Amino acid sequence: MLNTERTVLRPVYAERIKSLHDDKLAINDFKLKTIGVGKFDIDDWGFVYFPDFKFEPIGADKPYGYRYIGTNFRRFLEQMPKYVNKNSALGGAWIKPITDYMPIGWAPEDEPPEELRALWRKYDTYPGFGAMNHCAGDINIGLQLGWGGLLEKVRYYRKLNNPVDTAFYDCEEDIILGTQAFVAGVAAEARRMAAEEADPWFKKNLLEIAQMNEWLIYNPPRTLREACQFIAHFQTIDRTYFVGGALGQLDEMLRPYYERDKAAGLIEDDEAVWYLASLFFNDTHYSQIAGLTPDGSRDMTSRMSFLVLDAMHYLRIPINIAVRVSDLVHPELLRRALEYILEDGTGASFSLNKGIEEGYARNGYPIQLARQRIKVGCNWCAIPGREYPLQDVTRANMAFAFWHALQDIRDGERTLEKLFERTCHHIKVIVDSIKQGYDLHYERVGRNRPEVVYNLFMHGCIERGLNCSEGGVDILNFNIDGVGLATVADSFTAIEQRVIKEGRLSWDELYRILDANYEGYENERLMLKNISRFGAPDSPARKWALAIRDFFVKTCKESGTPKYNLPIIPGLFSHGAIYDYGKKLPATPNGRKAGEPISHSSEPDPGFATGLNTFSPTLKATAVAETQPGYGNSAPLHLDIDTEMLEKHGGIDALIALIHAHNNMGGTLINLNCLNERILREAHENPSTHPDLIVRVTGYSAFFASLSKSYRQQIIDRFLSKNG
Amino acid sequence: MNNTGKNQAIFTPELAVTQGVIFNIQRFSIHDGPGVRTAVFFKGCNLRCKWCHNPESIEHKPSLEFYPAKCIGCGACFAVCPVSAHIMQPIGQGGEHIIDRSKCIRCLECTDTCYAGALVGVGQTVTAEYVVENVKSEMPYYQHSGGGVTFSGGECMVQPNFLYAVLVGCKEAGVHTAVDTAGNVPWEFFQRIDSFVDMYLYDVKAASPEVHRAMTGAGNELIIDNLKKICRPGKRVWIRIPYVPGFNDGEIPGIADILCELEAEAKSSGREYAFERVELLPYHKLGASKYEALGIGDPTDGTVPPTGAEAERVVEYLRGRGLRAYKP
Repeated sequence: MLNTERTVLRPVYAERIKSLHDDKLAINDFKLKTIGVGKFDIDDWGFVYFPDFKFEPIGADKPYGYRYIGTNFRRFLEQMPKYVNKNSALGGAWIKPITDYMPIGWAPEDEPPEELRALWRKYDTYPGFGAMNHCAGDINIGLQLGWGGLLEKVRYYRKLNNPVDTAFYDCEEDIILGTQAFVAGVAAEARRMAAEEADPWFKKNLLEIAQMNEWLIYNPPRTLREACQFIAHFQTIDRTYFVGGALGQLDEMLRPYYERDKAAGLIEDDEAVWYLASLFFNDTHYSQIAGLTPDGSRDMTSRMSFLVLDAMHYLRIPINIAVRVSDLVHPELLRRALEYILEDGTGASFSLNKGIEEGYARNGYPIQLARQRIKVGCNWCAIPGREYPLQDVTRANMAFAFWHALQDIRDGERTLEKLFERTCHHIKVIVDSIKQGYDLHYERVGRNRPEVVYNLFMHGCIERGLNCSEGGVDILNFNIDGVGLATVADSFTAIEQRVIKEGRLSWDELYRILDANYEGYENERLMLKNISRFGAPDSPARKWALAIRDFFVKTCKESGTPKYNLPIIPGLFSHGAIYDYGKKLPATPNGRKAGEPISHSSEPDPGFATGLNTFSPTLKATAVAETQPGYGNSAPLHLDIDTEMLEKHGGIDALIALIHAHNNMGGTLINLNCLNERILREAHENPSTHPDLIVRVTGYSAFFASLSKSYRQQIIDRFLSKNG
Repeated sequence: MNNTGKNQAIFTPELAVTQGVIFNIQRFSIHDGPGVRTAVFFKGCNLRCKWCHNPESIEHKPSLEFYPAKCIGCGACFAVCPVSAHIMQPIGQGGEHIIDRSKCIRCLECTDTCYAGALVGVGQTVTAEYVVENVKSEMPYYQHSGGGVTFSGGECMVQPNFLYAVLVGCKEAGVHTAVDTAGNVPWEFFQRIDSFVDMYLYDVKAASPEVHRAMTGAGNELIIDNLKKICRPGKRVWIRIPYVPGFNDGEIPGIADILCELEAEAKSSGREYAFERVELLPYHKLGASKYEALGIGDPTDGTVPPTGAEAERVVEYLRGRGLRAYKP
């Protein structure tokens, strides 16, 4: 019988976790003051900033490749400050991305050609060429071998393969040696602090950290605490190198250690919660709990899954854990995750198995493999250690395609059919240009910016002496994300309704108004904006959204990349950067002025529901489910629910129903906040009034106070559009 | 009377085109019956409750709401109004856009030109098919929560043909149905729809006929009589008591007497209970801005909503009387 109870903390662990929470706020406050607000919009990381630390790279005249990176990353790990917090069960922290201390660039001859870059500029495309870190290692490889075992593995395969150029293996060896030096440094720092510590509890804790790290320099972890410490060090080097953030199936990764420790009488649950809280304090890496076994016969929820939620709840800082929901998910785990969101405002996200697993299987992979594709990124999934899944690094801005199409027909055939045809043409140009870039990425990224950390945790890279991006792993996939779906669908609908059907505007007037960026045409702007928009029942925008989605998906899937036929998986994900993607875009016929944000992923715009059919989370959920790209990559649903609604009887049951229904309708990911209008308004006005307010921006959570104004506004718009 | 919920009626094309007037379809409602529900609000009511929080629902004909803060002064409404009900006050008299409600014929022409959303028409004539299709579109959410549709208002029972049609359509689609009613209609109205209704949400506003008349414009004899008839084996009933300090707080003990009597009768005939639960609905001020937008006075102006603790005390009192009372 699985114990599903909330862990009750003994005072000593409650105090330690509370202190970690306070320390995190202080660290964050220091970062905001020294680095600046808005520098953490794309994620809230766990680094501890040391402004006085300086680093001088060697060979920076050619700042790329295995030798330059291996040599300097090792030196960096040796030299960087060793942070130990006596409230934590674990030692170490990362201090900022290594690219803030040394350049890591490209060989000039490996830069993409100017004609490709010109296309990317024309459409404001984020091409994905040269992108880093969006893959996931299998941490179990490291947990089984330890840093010493990994070193032996590298040396074994260098000898076995005996390559002429040993740069790959030399680099990987440098990474491990640097990490071992870092671990030894953490141990030494803990010993130093223990010697100066008067309090016996802290002294003992610091000595335990020292001993644990001394063991882990060479040896694999034996206990839950040591396993958490090993993972924390992985997080440190992973984040340091191009801010990698993927971890894995955390509950299953740690379950054997927990069960062994429990059976041996070494730990109680509250100690386990403290270890996990210490791990989350270390960094905001992305993990999943629960989910189906590969054969689909059962859900993997264990006691460890519940302890992960408990640790999130007690620590209450930005943490990125997803619950993988299937029809078989443990009902108490799902309920507990929602209870904590209600109590804390934010918490786990919900990764949905049907859309992700069955969608991925449509690419030609067995469903058993698809079930191992777990959520390890803000919106994205990967098969840890076995797939190079490059996602979340491209943005095919379909709103730009639409705008160019509108210019194409200005002096020609002004019809919706022609406008759609030209929009499709431009979408194809964008998609094809990204595919071309991916061919170059495949050829070149390894020799310039190899994935030196993930390679150690992959099945095949060390064995083959190959970077994961170029065949170190068996499965390579390249994602293209379309953005601005609702902006385009609503623009088509506005023209269809106001120009074609009602004749309230002529084409000439439409162009005049758009050229003027709506200056002096506020009533016309409102006329175009206040149509039956995407997401509203019966809206004609639905057919435009589906038509655009279908064309985008077909264009991505109909062929691989032109040179190497690399497989493409389409997605519809905009991250939180919808303000950036709108900055260069002129006014659009959906009432959006030049420079204003585009729509989010495949979601309807805030305020879409009017008239008879008032806003409902289910309307939004249905629209997002219907427009999924369908091949296993996520198009998320963001729900910001009023806490007052949920607190009432049946509120959590309703959310459970919504999550299961969205899963069965083909949705892929739900990011949920439970917010209170008063607190949100106060925090927006003056972020310092609520320094510990945490929100889920898109797939990641962050302190609200750390976000720039435009990112805060995004949360406000989403929330107030249905409550105001 | 058939109270099994089973029926043979078919949602014929004739029923599908039956027309009715509604003013809102609210999805993901969790306060109008069990599970996730779609609440369909009918327009028109035969009571005039002084605390009504949906004043736009009272009249059957369309209503015009005006939100001056949204007005951008484009003047389009002045141009289209056939009776010149829109007036711009001279600068010396306030300089504001106002509506002469005595002239307004509720044609709602002005709302079609008001892109700023300052003028909003409330109430739309729709077919039963339109409602049923919208209700069916939420089916996945009902299936995971034991939810369904709730027909509310206004008073949904005062559009009996339309209510019958949408109930038949929803039952044919396999949707759980609830009817939220104040019960002030002839018993024959219940008889007509009863086999298509899975449960009733039934308002009891006062115990004394005089107080009920003073508060709602009608006595409660028919309402109590109908209540006794629907509380019978096989039919789910939730009783709902609005709790409005200064209006019906003195009626709570009397309401409890009526409900306890029903319970006693049920138990004496071997049934576990007459109704499943009693919900206390504390008065709130969310309807205040709607009164202003409709250009009518708020009869509860000055009424202070009860605190959570006060409402809890009433719930406790009802529980003390042996009733399964909740505050949703």
